[in-house]
Amino acid sequence: MAVPETRALTENEQLAHINADYTERYGFHDAENYLYKAPKGLNREIVEKISEFKSEPEWMRAFRLKALDHFLARPQPTWGSPMMAEVDYDDIHYFVRASERAERSWDDVPEDVKKTFDRLGIPEAERKFLSGVGAQYESEVVYHQVHKDLEAQGVIFTDMDTALREHEDIVREYFATIIPANDNKLAALNSAVWSGGSFVYVPPGVTIEMPLQAYFRINTESMGQFERTLIIADEGSHVHYVEGCTAPTYSKSSLHSAVVELIAKPGARIRYTTVQNWSTNVFNLVTKRAVAYEDATVEWVDCNLGSKLTMKFPSVYLMGERAHGEILSIAFAGKGQHQDAGGKIIHAAPNTTSNIFAKSISKDGGRGSYRGLLEVAKGAHGSKSKVVCDALLLDDHSRSDTYPTIRIGDDDVNVGHEATVSRVGEDQLFYLMSHGIPEEEASKLIVNGFIEPITKELPMEYAVEMNRLIELQMEGSIG
Amino acid sequence: MPQIIEVCPLSELPPGEMRLVEWEDLEIGVFNCAGTVYAIEDRCSHDDGPLVEGGLDQETCTVECPRHGSRFDLRTGKPLTLPAYVPVDTFPVLIEDLTIKLEVE
Repeated sequence: MAVPETRALTENEQLAHINADYTERYGFHDAENYLYKAPKGLNREIVEKISEFKSEPEWMRAFRLKALDHFLARPQPTWGSPMMAEVDYDDIHYFVRASERAERSWDDVPEDVKKTFDRLGIPEAERKFLSGVGAQYESEVVYHQVHKDLEAQGVIFTDMDTALREHEDIVREYFATIIPANDNKLAALNSAVWSGGSFVYVPPGVTIEMPLQAYFRINTESMGQFERTLIIADEGSHVHYVEGCTAPTYSKSSLHSAVVELIAKPGARIRYTTVQNWSTNVFNLVTKRAVAYEDATVEWVDCNLGSKLTMKFPSVYLMGERAHGEILSIAFAGKGQHQDAGGKIIHAAPNTTSNIFAKSISKDGGRGSYRGLLEVAKGAHGSKSKVVCDALLLDDHSRSDTYPTIRIGDDDVNVGHEATVSRVGEDQLFYLMSHGIPEEEASKLIVNGFIEPITKELPMEYAVEMNRLIELQMEGSIG
Repeated sequence: MPQIIEVCPLSELPPGEMRLVEWEDLEIGVFNCAGTVYAIEDRCSHDDGPLVEGGLDQETCTVECPRHGSRFDLRTGKPLTLPAYVPVDTFPVLIEDLTIKLEVE
C-alpha cells in the first residue's frame, strides 16, 4: 500500500516498517514467465477460451456462459462497503496459466514457482503436519499431493480442474448446488471464470487426522483469482481443511473472488480454517456456504488480516435434526482497510444448534464491520443459538460497525445475542504498565487476550503465525 | 373447499412455455415441461422471486429463480439448490377438453 506523502514522518516510518516486512515475507513477486496470460477485461471469448484450455465437457462450458450473462446483467452491489465502487472489472486479467498441469512431485513444479512456495514455507509445512497440500499460483493449481494411506481409504483431494476430468459424475452432482451461479454478482463472476481451487471427497466413516491445506498465491499485477472449492464429507467422516493466501504489494488492485461449497452429510464434521493475509491492494470478495445434514457439524474459522476490502460472510444451513454450525471470525483492519466480515446460520431443522463468535480489531483509521444473519425457520423447534460479536478500537479515528439480523420463525427456540465495542482502556494499560510492561507490549497483550478464544481453535502452527501477524499489525500502534 | 379454475387451452401453452395465473391472493406459475403441465406457487421461498420469470429446464423438470438462482422441482415444489430451503406449494393440474385447469383451495 502506498503511503500518502502528506502523512507525518513518524507514521510513515511506522507504516513503512509493517510494509517492509510484508514485502520481504510475502510481498515479493516473480518474473512473469507464463504459458498464457489473458488480456485485461471480460467477455464471452475469454470465458470460452478458459473452457477450451481446460478441455471441459459441454455442460460446464454452458454453465460458464450462462453465469457470464448473470454477471453482466447484475448491477454492482451497493450495500456494504463504499469501496465496492472502486472495483474495476475491466482492469483485471481473468486467466493466467503458469504451468502445464498440477504436479504430484515437488521436483516437477516449474523452478520459479517452486522457489516462491519454498520461500513461503509450503513444502516444509507438508512434511511436518499436513495430510495433503495443494498450491495454487495465479489461475491454476501447480502442485497437489495427498498422503498415500488416505488415498487407499478412498479420500479424493485434488484440484477442481482435475476433479472435473477424473470425477465428473460426482462434481456434476454437487457443483453449484450450494451456491448457484446466479446467487450474487461475485458468485456469477466466479462461475463464469473459475479456475483451480480444491475438490475434497471423504468416504463414509473416514477420519482425516491432520489438516489438508491449500495455499493461494497471486503474482501478477491486476490479477483476478477465482478458485472454486467443493468439499463433500460423506456420512460419519471428518475433515479439517486449511487455506492461506498472500500476494505481492502492487499499486494497482487485484481481485480475489472464490466460491466455496461444503457438504456435511449425516454425522459428518467439516472444519474450514482460513488465514487470509492478502496484500492491501487486493479486493477479497468471497462467497462461502455450507450445508449440514442430520447430526453433522460444520465450523468456519475465518481470520482476515490482509486485503484492501474483504466482504465475506460464511454461512451454514442446518438442514437435518441436531446439526451444529459454528462460525469463529477474527478481523483486523489497519490503515486503509475495511474488513466486512461475519457469518450466517440458518436453522432449518429441529433441535439444531449454533454459535457465532466474531472479534474485530480496528487501528490507524481501519474499519471493521460485523454483518451477520441468524435465521430460525418455522418448525425448527428446540433450536439454540448464541451470537457474540466484540469489537476493539485501538485509537479514536478507527471505526467499528455491527449489522446483526435475527429472524425467528418458531416459538420454541433459545437465541442469544451480545455485542460489545471497547477501546483499549487507559486503566488496562496502566495496570500492565505498573507491572513494568512497556506500553506497546501491554497493548499487544490486551489484543492477544481479546482474540485468544479464537486463536486457540487454530492448529498450533497457524496460531503461532496468527499471533505473529497480529504483532506485526500492532507494531507502531502507540505513539 | 377446493375449486377448479380454467387456465387456458392446452394449445396456448406448448412445451417449454410458462405463464402466470392469479386467483384471489395467490400467484401460480403454470409450466409445460416436455408435454406435462405442472403448477407451483409463483414465489420463491427464499426471497419472493417470481419463478415464471426464471429459466425452465425441461430435461430436469425444474425452474430457476431469477433472483438468486435456486432451482425448484416442478413435480414436488422442492428446492434442489440453496439459498431456498423451504418447498413451494404445488397445485393439481387437470387437462379436460384440451383445456388446462387447476385445483386450488
